[in-house]
Amino acid sequence: MRGIRKAFPGVVALDGVDLTLEAGAVHMLLGENGAGKSTLMKILSGAYTKDAGDIRINGRAVEIRSPRDALALGIRVIYQELNLVPHLSVAENIFLGAAPVRWGGFVDWPELYDRTSRLLADLGMSLDPRALVSRLGLAQRQMVEIAKALSGSAFAKASADKSAFARASADTSGVAGRSASVLVMDEPTSSLTSREVTQLFALIQRLAARGVAIVYITHRLDEVFRIGHQITVMRDGRVVATRPIQEVTVPELVRMMANRDLADHFPKIRVERGAELLRVENVGGGPLSGISFSLHAGEVLGIAGLLGAGRTELARVVAGADRCQEGRLLVQGREVRFREPEDAIAHGIGLLPEDRKAQGLVPGLTVARNIALPHGRRLARLGILSRQCETAMADPIAADLRVKATPTQPVRLLSGGNQQKVVLGKWLAGDVRIFIFDEPTRGVDVGAKVEIYNLMNRLTARGAGIIMISSELPELLGMSDRILVMHRGRLQTEIAAADATEERVLSAALGLAHSTSSGQAI
Amino acid sequence: MIVPARQFGTLIGLLALCAILWILTPHFMTVSNLLNVAEQTSINAIVAVGMTFVILSGGIDLSVGSIVALSGVVLGTSLQAGHSLAVALPLSLAVGVLCGLANGALVSWGGLPPFIVTLGTMSIARGAALLFTEGRPVSGFDPSFRVLATGRVGFIPAPVIETTVVYAAAHFVLSRTTFGRYVYAIGGNEEATRLSGVPIRFHKTMIYGVSGLMSALAAVILTARLNSAQPIAGMMYELDAIAATVIGGTSLMGGDGSLAGTLVGALIMGVLRNGLNLLGVSSFLQQIVIGAVIVVAVLIDTVLKRKNST
Repeated sequence: MRGIRKAFPGVVALDGVDLTLEAGAVHMLLGENGAGKSTLMKILSGAYTKDAGDIRINGRAVEIRSPRDALALGIRVIYQELNLVPHLSVAENIFLGAAPVRWGGFVDWPELYDRTSRLLADLGMSLDPRALVSRLGLAQRQMVEIAKALSGSAFAKASADKSAFARASADTSGVAGRSASVLVMDEPTSSLTSREVTQLFALIQRLAARGVAIVYITHRLDEVFRIGHQITVMRDGRVVATRPIQEVTVPELVRMMANRDLADHFPKIRVERGAELLRVENVGGGPLSGISFSLHAGEVLGIAGLLGAGRTELARVVAGADRCQEGRLLVQGREVRFREPEDAIAHGIGLLPEDRKAQGLVPGLTVARNIALPHGRRLARLGILSRQCETAMADPIAADLRVKATPTQPVRLLSGGNQQKVVLGKWLAGDVRIFIFDEPTRGVDVGAKVEIYNLMNRLTARGAGIIMISSELPELLGMSDRILVMHRGRLQTEIAAADATEERVLSAALGLAHSTSSGQAI
Repeated sequence: MIVPARQFGTLIGLLALCAILWILTPHFMTVSNLLNVAEQTSINAIVAVGMTFVILSGGIDLSVGSIVALSGVVLGTSLQAGHSLAVALPLSLAVGVLCGLANGALVSWGGLPPFIVTLGTMSIARGAALLFTEGRPVSGFDPSFRVLATGRVGFIPAPVIETTVVYAAAHFVLSRTTFGRYVYAIGGNEEATRLSGVPIRFHKTMIYGVSGLMSALAAVILTARLNSAQPIAGMMYELDAIAATVIGGTSLMGGDGSLAGTLVGALIMGVLRNGLNLLGVSSFLQQIVIGAVIVVAVLIDTVLKRKNST
């Protein structure tokens, strides 16, 4: 792939990216959330079309306009969420839509199971073709997914035909030579146990040995060194570096991922820390375990972590959206139990959810009615809303936040930044003192970002406490007073704003103890 | 609230339909016939009020016709047992409301799909009505009760006035109360509404309760008009009510629509039936025409919406 460029409205997701994959090599693709890894792979797999650049396979220029084109070229992608039909067998899933038929339409079951057995044996997987996918563990499902991905490729055709397979395995490059076979895996181990990981890695090595070119996207540095041959680090839609694995060290990798110009200016105003507003003690359950921290008046507590580290889950527990299964929550020193978000709101906790379209707004309602939504009971008399009460409450807030819309416009017509301001506005009218902002500036233009930061300053100045979850390190460093770093459902470390650097936060988020400078192998 | 342009479209459709019938048959555009249409529409129009609440909130209620039958036979039986209307009326309304609340509780606390829950209630309420009456209609009531359907104020039939009152009250609830706001909010985005601190389950339960109440009100008028409470009454009412709601521009996805639209939708259905009868169209053919009108109306609506959104 050469000079790949892709822009979405408002952002350039990829800006001249080069990536070269070799048959038989495992190519590790690293980068922070939003660095452009997924976009690049979506272009390779035909889910997106590129704006510029070219793709060559075995030296021949190809156009990939749809997933169908990618499949025809032997490109297979295994996404984080598996796409299997749980109530069908392993064999049925692998050959879904491509099952061998006879007598004009009837599935040839013996042939189906036979082919599946051969394919599985060939891939070194010990799975029963007749087993229901719903009965399998996650690693086994992943294997089914891999087998499915490879079932239509030249690789599998070769293995289905035993004589061809004999030739193919004798000459590994031959297979890849006839039809390129590229396998992309997006964080395949995120939900696997270490034994399952070992199985998966053995399989990946076998595939590579057969001449499949593998792209492996991961956040885990240990995996990079266990199975990688080459490594490419991406940041902000560009490739930082591509190196053979022998030539990089862990601290070097972390630096490549994190290093960026701190050109963004953050209008942080520090406020004297006040009394404790919220204390979280040993909260666990689901992906979370043993999380304890406290939030004080006047501070912004940043929470860093990779996708899936449990940050949003934690936010939802504190905001009453999910039940707190283990541990306890204390608001201003008193223990509280939240059954529903309304209970948390009654204790002055307001959540700005991660996904504003799905969780923050009612798209068909007006700006004023969205802002007034949490305050219905207070606004109404005997359940009746006077004609102007919602706009009377919402207008000053919308004006204060500089929401560029009339109060009677449905919010679905607003831009991302203005929508986010409306979600923020919902919590400004009430008695909320504990704000939980989950990715407050995602998909928001620069101007609106600064306004949101200014709003955070005003909130802390009047004695509120803010928990800010963000995947943008500069924002976390720029706006937080303290930063908690989460890793796999636990609190990895706490870093004071003064001591925080991108490298430190990122190392902790990656699960490395403070080892970036020592350069130890993992 | 300003009536969105889309409902003017439905209104224009109604007027166009009336104009065509005026040309085709001299009997259509007479005061007595129009009042007749309004009267006949009233029952579907009232049931459709409840349906509109439910569909606005993103649900569906298939049990309305069976609840009409059950409330009706409870009303008829208790009247015949010698109870006064002051006892029988609240009793039958309570039966309707309870059926609705049961639907709502199963949907919100039980987490079951509304389609399944109300499909079950549709069968249960129908069965209960049949069991209660041993399958026989309960007929013959005191004129003081029948006046609810046969009476007139001036020249306007009582059911038309009752329907108007129900629509006015329901419109007020929907546009001027927190409950009404939550109906739209829940249908528009249930999770966002929950995260805003609205007690979702309580309100969803109440929404189905409203639908049950509307079915019971329709049962009162139906029983009074027929002078008979029949356990097989209200068959297919759910489909007429859904049709009126959807023709009136309410989105089956929830969160978008209005009662004004539903009223126009119910009138379109009523005018169409009446006109086809006047024209002597066979009842078999009528079903085909009505089905086609429903599909075409929603098709136009969908096309207009698609245009508006781009």
